[in-house]
Amino acid sequence: MVFHKGQKIEVYRRSQDESWEPFMDSLVGRHGIITDPDTQINDPNALVEVSLEDKGTYRLPQDCLRELEA
Amino acid sequence: MSKIDCPVNQALARLNHTLQNNHLPHPRSHRVAEEIQTLVLDIAMGRAGKAHLPSIDDRVSALGDFSDDPAGVELAQWLSQQLSDHHEVFVSHIKSQNCATGDCDNLTPAPCQMACPAGIDVPTYVSLIGLGRDAEAIEVIRRDNPFPWVCGLVCTRPCEFMCVRGRIDTPVSIKFMKAFAAERALSWGQYRNPEQSPANGRKVCVVGAGPGGMSAAYYLALRGYSVRVLEALPSAGGMIMVGIPRYRLPREVIDREVAMIESLGVEFCFNTRFGKDVTMEQLRRDGFEAFFFAIGAHAAYNLGIPGEKDFPQVHEAITFLRNVALGDRHVPGRRVVVIGGGNVAIDAARTCLRLGCEEVTLAYRRTRHEMPADEEEVEQAEEEGVRFAMLTIPVAIEGDGTKMTGLGCLQAKLVSKPGSDRKSPKPIEGSEFIMPADALIGAIGQRVENHWLAEIEGLKWSRRDTIRVDTATMATNVDGIFAAGDAVTGPATVIEAIGGGKRAASGIHRYLSGIPQPKMPPVPVRRRRVEWTEVPANTKMVLKRSEMPLLNIDRRRTTFQQVELGYTENMVREEARRCLRCDICRRCGLCVQICRDKMGVNALSMGYLEFDHPGTTNFRQTQDLCISCGACATNCPTGAMTLEDRGNERILSICGTILNRQPLVHCDCCGAVLGTERYLEYIRNRLHRSAPNTSKKRFCDACARKSGLESNKGAMPLT
Repeated sequence: MVFHKGQKIEVYRRSQDESWEPFMDSLVGRHGIITDPDTQINDPNALVEVSLEDKGTYRLPQDCLRELEA
Repeated sequence: MSKIDCPVNQALARLNHTLQNNHLPHPRSHRVAEEIQTLVLDIAMGRAGKAHLPSIDDRVSALGDFSDDPAGVELAQWLSQQLSDHHEVFVSHIKSQNCATGDCDNLTPAPCQMACPAGIDVPTYVSLIGLGRDAEAIEVIRRDNPFPWVCGLVCTRPCEFMCVRGRIDTPVSIKFMKAFAAERALSWGQYRNPEQSPANGRKVCVVGAGPGGMSAAYYLALRGYSVRVLEALPSAGGMIMVGIPRYRLPREVIDREVAMIESLGVEFCFNTRFGKDVTMEQLRRDGFEAFFFAIGAHAAYNLGIPGEKDFPQVHEAITFLRNVALGDRHVPGRRVVVIGGGNVAIDAARTCLRLGCEEVTLAYRRTRHEMPADEEEVEQAEEEGVRFAMLTIPVAIEGDGTKMTGLGCLQAKLVSKPGSDRKSPKPIEGSEFIMPADALIGAIGQRVENHWLAEIEGLKWSRRDTIRVDTATMATNVDGIFAAGDAVTGPATVIEAIGGGKRAASGIHRYLSGIPQPKMPPVPVRRRRVEWTEVPANTKMVLKRSEMPLLNIDRRRTTFQQVELGYTENMVREEARRCLRCDICRRCGLCVQICRDKMGVNALSMGYLEFDHPGTTNFRQTQDLCISCGACATNCPTGAMTLEDRGNERILSICGTILNRQPLVHCDCCGAVLGTERYLEYIRNRLHRSAPNTSKKRFCDACARKSGLESNKGAMPLT
């Protein structure tokens, strides 16, 4: 999945990535918007910036995100 | 009852339950509990002051000491425990007017504020700008971000992505309003620093004078720390100075905001590279107790194609942009190819045009749809004449001796790999071609120059070659060392670096003060609750986001003058009126539900309340259907929806948007207000009158009784 700016997503599971921190467990199930997919190279390993409703903005690994149906 | 997470709200719920159910039989304990309830409600509503907690403590003690009422004693014990267990939360509700759980309706940040990595109180400053109070708006912004002008020009604006207005038409133009207010405040000499704490005699060293480093320096200096900033470059700004071209962010903008930080006593040491010109050991000897690294990601990835190292005409975008920013204005070539699809590639291409390159082509492996660059930047580059070669894979640099002559490329198509929905570019066989070019700029990503930090023993790095930190505090695994910005996130955004610097400053302060560190990143703090501006529903709906005026195209192609000319004053004030004030209306939907399901009227068309699938919004519809009953306003938990009699009208509004205004009907006898015509009609229909109303006269209850039942047979008592 290539994420685009403005796309609606869901944090649908914990990530296995090393950048996942314990407090991020509370973000699972939250919906949000991709605000910065990865500034330069469209790298599937890059952390992407997402704004989650009522939770704030985080840079998360892509394996925990899925697109919400439009 | 839904679960309540907020300790303040829990206390309030317990008090409400106890009092409503008369669980305190003794009048004295009932009265004291009512007083406590009032005080706790003040805290939950954001109107409490310093005296509230001591007053509550006194009353809880009084309730606990009154042994005649065991229920009161039990309540006091529970409250006392609650206040003791969650003392910090009660204090933070009072001090920051913020409820991290969102349970306290009045104290919950709006989506735009929540989305801002620096946590700026967007609705407050947008409202202040709307009222023409630009300097105050800047004061509010600078509580959370020392760079309002920089961000007004180059922020990636996560706030606008989450803006609820965007669910109706387009988001409020938050970024451009911020730029206007910052410029105006500076121009009028009203751009000020917040009050600084007295010097505490402790020293912190910041490495890197980029947005992250300077933000940390700013917040530490405000707390009274002595801060020294080391910077390898000859001036402050970091990537915003040497990575963002001047046509997007003029140098003066950076200089002015840096000067404000310098005026707090922050010491800058330029041309000083950590790990080369100065070591950790030296700094420790100089008395620095904590260190913050925000060294950015200034090294470029190689293209990894033959010929890359053979021709002097091949450049790394980040070096090229840095040289231009520092004054080297030489034309890289006549025909230039830029490789990459991100913002840096676009910046390099547009910079080439301004330096006088005749032909600039941006080659990208995927399609325009996949380009990570900002859409506006891509459009502006296209307008200026940058050519785009999509689905183009560079394979080799062609040349003659030491002179580059072209770029060997392959055409690609996007294909899905088995088991993945991510499409990758696949070369098309036999599609080789040469793109004539005499210079090439690679812009395929940046990385952290980690070798400069080699002397920090044990510092953990991620598999992405970035510094590993706890993002709640920005602390690394090494005691007393913190980090943020691109060095932590990889190449990211200015506002993330600022937010990281701010969090790090708080983490450093806690570290040096021996205060335990938080386990979660902070929730943004609401700074004020500014009064709303009244806007008729029709105006609210028709006001469209203002277009940014741009410099004329010839000047854009030939100079580094700022492309975006800025909003005019009228545009800014109008734009502010588009804001829905989500700091007040929490979009709980209770008003819509009650109007539709309880009253059966369905006058509120507010599709924007839904995040995933917003429906239609039409504020104008209310005027046609609303009966002015006020059920929505009565049940609104935040006071966003109001029903007010003003002059001869009853006015319904939500956060200042006037949804409905109806003439009032008065008692024909005493002149008391009876409601609106539609409301009275609604009541008559609901009452299923047994007798027809033969009289045209209308009376209030009191007058109807006074006139006598017989003589008023035809006139319905209406209130």
